[in-house]
Amino acid sequence: MGWFSSDKTESPQMEPSKDGGYIAPDRTARAQCWDGRDNFFKCLDKHGIIDSVKEDEKAKKLCAPELKEFEKVCQGSWVTYFKKRRVMEYQRDQTIKKLNAEGAQPMQTTGR
Amino acid sequence: MASPFSSAMCTAQQGMCKQCAASITRRTFASLPQNLKSEIRPTPSSTTTFTKRSPSKCQPSRSFASMPKRSAARTVEEVKTKNKLGPFSWQAGILFLLAGAGLTLYFRYEKARMTRLRIAEANKGIGKPLVGGPFTLTDMHGHTFTDADLKGKYSLVYFGFTHCPDICPEELDKMAGMIDRVKEKHGKGVLRPVFISCDPARDTPEVIQRYLAEFHGDILGMTGTWQEVKDVCKVYRVYFSTPPDVKPGQDYLVDHSIYFYLMDPEGDFVEAIGRNFTVDAAAKVINDHISDWKGKIDRS
Repeated sequence: MGWFSSDKTESPQMEPSKDGGYIAPDRTARAQCWDGRDNFFKCLDKHGIIDSVKEDEKAKKLCAPELKEFEKVCQGSWVTYFKKRRVMEYQRDQTIKKLNAEGAQPMQTTGR
Repeated sequence: MASPFSSAMCTAQQGMCKQCAASITRRTFASLPQNLKSEIRPTPSSTTTFTKRSPSKCQPSRSFASMPKRSAARTVEEVKTKNKLGPFSWQAGILFLLAGAGLTLYFRYEKARMTRLRIAEANKGIGKPLVGGPFTLTDMHGHTFTDADLKGKYSLVYFGFTHCPDICPEELDKMAGMIDRVKEKHGKGVLRPVFISCDPARDTPEVIQRYLAEFHGDILGMTGTWQEVKDVCKVYRVYFSTPPDVKPGQDYLVDHSIYFYLMDPEGDFVEAIGRNFTVDAAAKVINDHISDWKGKIDRS
């Protein structure tokens, strides 16, 4: 919290490199982003929200501080990506649960 | 002894005779006046006429026709020999040998053909994915790097981008684990780990260098122009969705396929290692392939 010591909720700006590229978030920045994401998702779990893109209003109302923090520590594209991935993973888990209930056998995929 | 042979010859010639006869027939028909129509019906008598009219080279057919007479004139001894041998005669023997030789030749030819086909298929990549091929990129030190530079060692190729939210960093940490396990087993320099960026607009050599330093010092990062990256992705059958024209500083994600590609020291594709492999499982695959390799490996 407060890496930029400002109240702005803007996503972190990408830092240009000397040779014309843009420096990617490093391990620390990634870890911070993932923490922000986990906090926000914990809040969503508490309020039973799965899809925070569709239920944007509700998420903004109920998890405002967490979302603000999440958007501060992660790039915009990452925020959207993680929100969508949460829905995708939820659906995947539901499908697996459903298949298990139906008695499906898991496939050995690793091979060796 | 000569008579059966000549008869066999005549059997062959009779085929010719039929042809001669047919051609003559056609000519005859053409030249026949209309009022002679009744004569050209294909009756046995007309056939005899044509045969008689045919050129001299077809003559033996007549001798064939007279064969029964000659066989009737065989000596008792001849008949006895025939009975002793039963259905086996020297013609049958020749036929048997010819058929045998023919079949042998045919099977030899077929076998050679199948071998060639198998080699061609293996090179064409039917049944195994054809991965890898010519490319030109720039490594993270600013030097040109082509597919030729990949040869000499085993290479582990990974496609990704530095602004990747979670999957690439996880995979690169796994890659670091694999590198160390291969080093433990086969020593330094056997495996060349390569990271190819799918996001050339943001991933310049400097950016890649800084990024990879956090994972493993051995990983050699690559980038290029959008077209160069598109080309290398194409030969490695990698799907990626980087837009060709992005604004500076634009925030976007790159969708790409996630595989480690193991290439042998000759630059040929060996195996793809997916996300479902643990570090240990992946390292075992690589180590086993390196152990199998009979050729030279540049260990520098």
